[in-house]
Amino acid sequence: MAKTIKMKRRNLFSWILLTPSLLFMGIFLILPFLLLLVLSFRDVDGMMTMLPTYSLAQYKEVFTSDIYLRTISSTLWVALLTTAICLVMAYPAAYLLVRSPSKGVRTLFYILLVSPLLTSVVIRTFAWIVILAQNGLVNEVLLKLHIISQPLSLLWNMNAVIIAYVQVMLPFAVLPIATSLGEITPNLRQASMSLGAGRLRTFLKVTLPLTIPGMISGSVIVFSLAAGSYITPLLVGGRLQPLLPLSIYQQVMQISNLPLGAAMSLTLLVFVAIVVAVLGWILKRWEGRMNG
Amino acid sequence: MDNSNSASPPMRRRTRRFSAWTTLVWIAGSLVYLFLILPVLVIVLSAFSPKEYPEFPPTGFSLRWFSAIAGNSDWSGALWNSIVLLVIVTLLTVVLGTTAAYAIARLEFRGKQAIQSLMLSPLMIPQIVLGISLLYVFTGMGLIGTMTGLIIGHVIVAFPYVVRTVSVSVSNLNPKLELASMSLGAGPVKTFFRVSLPLIKPGIVAGGVFSAVTSFGEVSISLFVYSPSTVTVPVRIFNYIEQTYDPAVNAVSVIFIAVAVIALIIIERTIGLTKVM
Repeated sequence: MAKTIKMKRRNLFSWILLTPSLLFMGIFLILPFLLLLVLSFRDVDGMMTMLPTYSLAQYKEVFTSDIYLRTISSTLWVALLTTAICLVMAYPAAYLLVRSPSKGVRTLFYILLVSPLLTSVVIRTFAWIVILAQNGLVNEVLLKLHIISQPLSLLWNMNAVIIAYVQVMLPFAVLPIATSLGEITPNLRQASMSLGAGRLRTFLKVTLPLTIPGMISGSVIVFSLAAGSYITPLLVGGRLQPLLPLSIYQQVMQISNLPLGAAMSLTLLVFVAIVVAVLGWILKRWEGRMNG
Repeated sequence: MDNSNSASPPMRRRTRRFSAWTTLVWIAGSLVYLFLILPVLVIVLSAFSPKEYPEFPPTGFSLRWFSAIAGNSDWSGALWNSIVLLVIVTLLTVVLGTTAAYAIARLEFRGKQAIQSLMLSPLMIPQIVLGISLLYVFTGMGLIGTMTGLIIGHVIVAFPYVVRTVSVSVSNLNPKLELASMSLGAGPVKTFFRVSLPLIKPGIVAGGVFSAVTSFGEVSISLFVYSPSTVTVPVRIFNYIEQTYDPAVNAVSVIFIAVAVIALIIIERTIGLTKVM
């Protein structure tokens, strides 16, 4: 009897501890989001003044204009491409991390992986400007080596955006894959090889399938970050790249058409949510197959 | 790179191929790590370069970009704002994040999973969406351009990191210790402060470091809610590079890299780098 009273008091205390965070998230995360949703149905006049009427006009504009449709598809394409490149590059990096010969080397790899997460995105993006600019590092080296006679224009295009994205988001792919790799018992690989499978076949048939959960959790993070960032594309790609976050930024900050910006934001959010949900569904099915 | 290797007997070729495969993976992996650290190297190289544009290999050493920012009151004003924000945001986030992570771990209720996802969601929600929703709400509340607005925005993005690191510590905490404390007569409040908190301190410290670093480097939300009087260092850098190329930015960036290094050391000494994700 005394025990249940104690547990009840403890639960009450835990709820008291949780309340401030719930209130904070409710007021500054959920409420703004709901207001944004309402805002996306507001009408505006030619001067971008909000009218008291509600309609689907903003969404109609997003989904019927060629420019915005193209922007949506290129946003998804760029995010997908970034995710794919990150996965391919993350694999050898994760392998090195798991198989590092000594603790010192392992710590070094961790430092290299975690330090980008601790450096402001502005700084990392600025570094790419220094590297890719007309008189930047790449052109400098290529000119000095007489490989090119005119500086290449490497900035202000989608390739620059993707390169910077990959560098910024790679750690998010490496860490979950490394976790999956680390969980595979070495016996499995040895068994496969002693049964006559070569290294490549062992990798494709044993190692790769077992790391799919890690690859999916990495993809979820990389994809949603790549679809929703605007600082990096703005600085290395320029304002005019067909990316949804840039269009939102422009609508809100320059044209002051808040309802259209809100409608685009929700469109972006829904697309990201769909991709994340599909990846989650694949992961669940995969784990179901693995466990039974 | 001659073809004499092809004359080796088949067995040796097989072992050779083994090590060649591993070597290839190691080379690829090392290149990936080099790619990861490249921007940091470039920043440091440029910050100490005497020329306007970075050179490779460097031709000299100079501190001219550091003296260029040291005497500039705009940069020191922004730095002051950033530091004030960092301190307030870290304190608030640590208190909110620690209590939330601990309570979630100790409670069992329907919708617990949903609450947990909500707490971590700012990591996944597109920054631009967070930014404009806060811009809209803050305009109505009169918080645009105020420090309060910036603090709220920073707390939202830093909060998930504290929840995550503290959750790691709480899951390593043996519940029997708390039960022992309670059965010896201590109430839940006393148990929390005297038993649980000291034991999850590493997670709290690591979370604090993460929120400090996040706040110090935050730009995506700040850009929507700042005003000229509350401009922070990253926002100022953003405005600078969007308009011109200024090599002095390299020197400012070195400050950020130094902060990251300090953060790395503290995280390694508390929960360890391996537990970060």
